[in-house]
Amino acid sequence: MQTKPETRRTAIEIRDLRVDYGDFVAVDDVSLQVPAGEVFGLVGPNGAGKTSTFRVLATLMEPTYGEVFLDGVDIQEDIEMARRIVGYMPDLAPVPSDLKVGEFLEFHAAAYGLGTRQQQRDRVAECLEEVGMTEQRKAWCAKLSRGQTQRVVLAKTLLHRPRVMILDEPASGLDPLARRDLKDALRRLVKTGATVFVSSHILSELAEMCTSLCVMNRGKLLAAGTAEEVRRLMGNGGRRLTMKFVSQAEAAADWMQGKPGIEAIAREGESLTLAFAGEEDHQAELMAGLVMAGFRMVSFEERKSSFEEILVEVAESNRKR
Amino acid sequence: MSEEDMISLRPRRHGWWAIPVNPIFRRYACSRLRLRGGGVGVFLAVLGAGFLFALCRSIGFNRTDYDPMDAERTPLIPLMVLQCVILFALGTAQVAGGMTGERDEGVIDYQRLLPMSPLAKVLGFLFGLPVREWAMFAVTFPFSLWGLVKGGVDPVVWMRLYAVLISSALLYHFTGLVTGMVVKNRRWAFLTSIGLVFGLYTVVPQLAKLGLVTFKYLTIVPIFEESLPSLLPEVPASMVKLSQRWLPTVKFFNLDFSEAWFTVFSQLGLMLTFLRMLCRRWERTESHLLGKTWATGFFIWIQVLLLGTALPEIGTGGLFPSRGMGRLIPMMPDRAPEKFEAVWLSGIYGLFSLVLLYGFALMVTPSPDRQLAGWRRAVKQGRSRLPWSGDAATSFGWIGIMALAGATAWFVFTQRVVESDWFPGQVVPQSVAGWMVGLLLALAWGFQALLELHGRRAVFMAAILVGAVPLMVGAVLGSISDSWWPTAVWVMGASPMTLPVYAAGSLLQIAELPASVARAVPRACAFWGMLAGFAAVWGAVSLRASRQRMAQIMLESGEKE
Repeated sequence: MQTKPETRRTAIEIRDLRVDYGDFVAVDDVSLQVPAGEVFGLVGPNGAGKTSTFRVLATLMEPTYGEVFLDGVDIQEDIEMARRIVGYMPDLAPVPSDLKVGEFLEFHAAAYGLGTRQQQRDRVAECLEEVGMTEQRKAWCAKLSRGQTQRVVLAKTLLHRPRVMILDEPASGLDPLARRDLKDALRRLVKTGATVFVSSHILSELAEMCTSLCVMNRGKLLAAGTAEEVRRLMGNGGRRLTMKFVSQAEAAADWMQGKPGIEAIAREGESLTLAFAGEEDHQAELMAGLVMAGFRMVSFEERKSSFEEILVEVAESNRKR
Repeated sequence: MSEEDMISLRPRRHGWWAIPVNPIFRRYACSRLRLRGGGVGVFLAVLGAGFLFALCRSIGFNRTDYDPMDAERTPLIPLMVLQCVILFALGTAQVAGGMTGERDEGVIDYQRLLPMSPLAKVLGFLFGLPVREWAMFAVTFPFSLWGLVKGGVDPVVWMRLYAVLISSALLYHFTGLVTGMVVKNRRWAFLTSIGLVFGLYTVVPQLAKLGLVTFKYLTIVPIFEESLPSLLPEVPASMVKLSQRWLPTVKFFNLDFSEAWFTVFSQLGLMLTFLRMLCRRWERTESHLLGKTWATGFFIWIQVLLLGTALPEIGTGGLFPSRGMGRLIPMMPDRAPEKFEAVWLSGIYGLFSLVLLYGFALMVTPSPDRQLAGWRRAVKQGRSRLPWSGDAATSFGWIGIMALAGATAWFVFTQRVVESDWFPGQVVPQSVAGWMVGLLLALAWGFQALLELHGRRAVFMAAILVGAVPLMVGAVLGSISDSWWPTAVWVMGASPMTLPVYAAGSLLQIAELPASVARAVPRACAFWGMLAGFAAVWGAVSLRASRQRMAQIMLESGEKE
């Protein structure tokens, strides 16, 4: 019996989004769909258009054109409903200097109409616990450290149980322990059915916490998919093969010229580094061929392009332009 | 979706009318009424009010010519001054500074994201930001109440007075909110708002003396003057009553209004417009402060108010500065206004309309970037035109309508002043209307075209080089000697600010210009007026070409896609 494949609900749908600042195109006809229940990462160098995209999604900015749907709600048609669905944590996460942590959160709980005063207080306590800030409830917001401020704003973002959370560089300023807590908190959130759209310019950080991600540069969406797919798409296959010979490295390099998948060979002493874009079969044939040809290898190592390298490449291509 | 989640998503609107439970109001009540800040403020207010109350009352009771009721009334005016300072100056500054502070700290985005209507947000800020000042006012009020009750002041009088005080405070707080939304620096917002309130009580009354009567109703002064006899002890009250016999009552065209009602009525229009501005900004940060339709309607409304309050004062002579002065000097009660006053009043009305036009043009004219963005959006949506009243659409036609309305009002005002009983035999021909329309259209469209084509920076430079510098140079030349006056007139004529005054001096037969400038003024007016006309036509043609070019490029790019 054939069963109908389960289709996942789309939590965020962006159609042809464009944002201009005068002549500068910050977001250039971006279209994207994020399925519900994902931690979806948006990565790109500074000035890629991440924050502009997020501000449009959060209903804080009107795009030049384009449509955005959050949980099926057109944000331009029903902005108040969209604001109930979305939770936005901006970059640098500011807090008011004249309120205490508890007051700040209770104000937001009241503004979102989260039940009675007591229910609001309880929800504030829950969120503070979620981010590990229960003890700071009576502290002045202005006296918090950078990391604590981030966590308080994250708690504020969680208050109304948003279906879609948009977090702009949430991990910046957090120590490793707090980053781990953040990842755990995001995973717990996703388990409740929420969708998290998170940006960072540190790709490895996103790769650890995201189920899927996309890369933006100069306002354009370059690639989207799972971390592995993005790495493959962005890194031209992205594998580097490093082999060390007992001797005859130069002869081995000559032997490998023209073999399938090899794009470039660099020699350093008795070591060769290959930029390799071939299939796994080609890689296996290459190894076997080298051994059969009598070249004595000490080691053979495969290294995929790291996310960091990909992003540096993207940023450098911007600089060259 | 769990039931709990559904609850959080269910729209629960905060009613705009429920101020005490408005979360933004409560947030500021929490932060601004703390014992450390709010408590000190309230304590100082009680101290100040108590001191004034005790001191004035003591002085009153020690005066032999005051009966006990007079003595009880003595502290009323000093207390009211203190209350005005608290609400008008401190409150307004706090609103403007607080609003800018929200933006400085970056937390304004959180407020934007709250699922509340823009109106509820505006009212939350309006009453929340100055909540400490309202509390300070509240604790001074019992002292006033004591004086009002024990002093036997008619409750209707003091209730009207306090109603206008509160409505004025709200108007200034609205001004503070708009200032806070527009001005980027907290200190500047603070100073600008205090400057605005100070200006309302110093500069605006002078405008009221120059024919723009309606402006005095933006202050508490008219109702205060009306209530003064009831607030003062008997002797000074009788003197005030005597002087009030010559004071005009409020007439709006042929309708009679009480001072209090008319003040509230005038302020209400302005408050509604401020509310509209703020709601637009809360809906969309990038919006113009006012839409084109509202701005045009509001411009016409101001003209109606100006005419409605000025025209009834022509017959009584109250509109004319010299007559206004003479009214207060019993020796010259029947002094007739001078002819030159009519010319100046007309010129000032035209100048004010022009300045107002420039202000509205700045508000509704799209920058080149905004037009471009509008075109991109239109093309994407498959439209071949911009929405005619949208922010991205040209303001050319709208400014034209405003200029027509301004020129019509200017002509009506001039005609009624010159053809009044004070100047028998004087007539303003209909052709003058055509000149006024032409002049205002030329000056307004020239400005609008420059603004729409080249943006605010170009306008700022033009305002200095063309608006101010000729006036300065002309003033210096004129001060050298009388023989330089014609040259000075020609130089000053280059500034658009002088042309309405020159036009009044040239077009009205009643004008008896001094011999030294009798030839220069009409010629300079004609020359610079023509030049302004050419500039406006050139600007309009360039603007049209530029808009067509932009439309063509955008439509072609849309077809390619």
